[in-house]
Amino acid sequence: MRELLQLLTACIGALGFALLYNTRGVNALLAAVGGFLGWAAFLGARRLWGPNDYIGGFAASVMLTVYAECMARIRKTPVTVFLVSGAIPLVPGASLYRAMKYLTAGNGQMFREQSAYALLFAASMSAGIMVTTIVFRLCWSFIAKDVREKKRRI
Amino acid sequence: MPGLTRQEAETYLYYAMEIGEAMLLCGAEVGRVEDSIRRICMAYGARRVDVFTITSSIVTTVYGDEFLSCTQTRRVSSMKNNLSMLGDLNRLSREICEWRLSPEEIAARLKVIQSVPGYPFSVQVMLYAVISAAFCVFFGGSWEDMLVSAAIGVCLKLAESFLQKGSSNPLLIALLCAAAGGLLSNLAVSAGPGDSADSISIGNIMLLIPGMAFTNSIRDIFSKDMITGLVRFVEAVVLAIAIALGFTFANFL
Repeated sequence: MRELLQLLTACIGALGFALLYNTRGVNALLAAVGGFLGWAAFLGARRLWGPNDYIGGFAASVMLTVYAECMARIRKTPVTVFLVSGAIPLVPGASLYRAMKYLTAGNGQMFREQSAYALLFAASMSAGIMVTTIVFRLCWSFIAKDVREKKRRI
Repeated sequence: MPGLTRQEAETYLYYAMEIGEAMLLCGAEVGRVEDSIRRICMAYGARRVDVFTITSSIVTTVYGDEFLSCTQTRRVSSMKNNLSMLGDLNRLSREICEWRLSPEEIAARLKVIQSVPGYPFSVQVMLYAVISAAFCVFFGGSWEDMLVSAAIGVCLKLAESFLQKGSSNPLLIALLCAAAGGLLSNLAVSAGPGDSADSISIGNIMLLIPGMAFTNSIRDIFSKDMITGLVRFVEAVVLAIAIALGFTFANFL
């Protein structure tokens, strides 16, 4: 139940941000699907490999980036349109807030825990985006070259 | 293809810079801006094009056969995320490269693209409410918290647009908005309708956190635009910490 609720709200949140960034029409809905898919991958990874949020964050951003790169090619718009709004649910806002709360309350132990979590989660998410973008573009350049050569032969 | 005259080079470079600047303003990655300017200039027959872009400036030099070189620079001051305009500009630059539009055509197309209005203010206020409600529930808030968070989201949008009239410092605006949000959430909890000030604030914090700058900075860094990537990354982190601090400072009042 909680997971379903999270999926729904991730979708709504991503849609909200897509509209806030002035995305229009079908692209905004596709960006919302990106938010949904990213969080679904996070939850799926946690089911498969145990409750490790960092692996979850990595899996989520891999999923999101593949989706965004594919959509960018289908819709012929910059990848940013789909990537940025879809990545919003993966921003560790809650742990950042808690870290600052413990810092101002003078609780050093909890501050270190929460800020380390926020940093590592952001790092695993960025690692997912980087790795996927590089690998995807590499694979795509092979596919694109293949298609071009076939066309030339015809 | 005949080489560019100096006059032509200056005109086309001017429009390439217009497009590049508009893209940067809309929140494009630096690589895309540089690539677009280079492609446009090459399409009109430049021999060589050197572009250097960081978040706040664009410098381009075009080299041709009939003249030595021609340089223009732009100082880019602000950023407003507008992804639909970015898509339009991207399409325009592709078409320019393909059809080599005349300067008048480019000017007309640019004017059309830049005159598309954004979503009206009322819709933006509603979006703030919906986003904070969604993320309040996402991070485990109760239904009461969700409603309070949505209400505070509306207040934050009003406060933000009010503050933007007086100051152009995004750090200051974010800090003040965050403090107001924290104060309101504590008030809501002590007055009754809210359950947990933390859940309410976490919903609101997602509104202000620069998610787009953060994602873009990562992409800039890995595409070897180190300066821009690091500048945007540090900006995003400082802003995020300021916002989180603003929300928690309210706990002391």
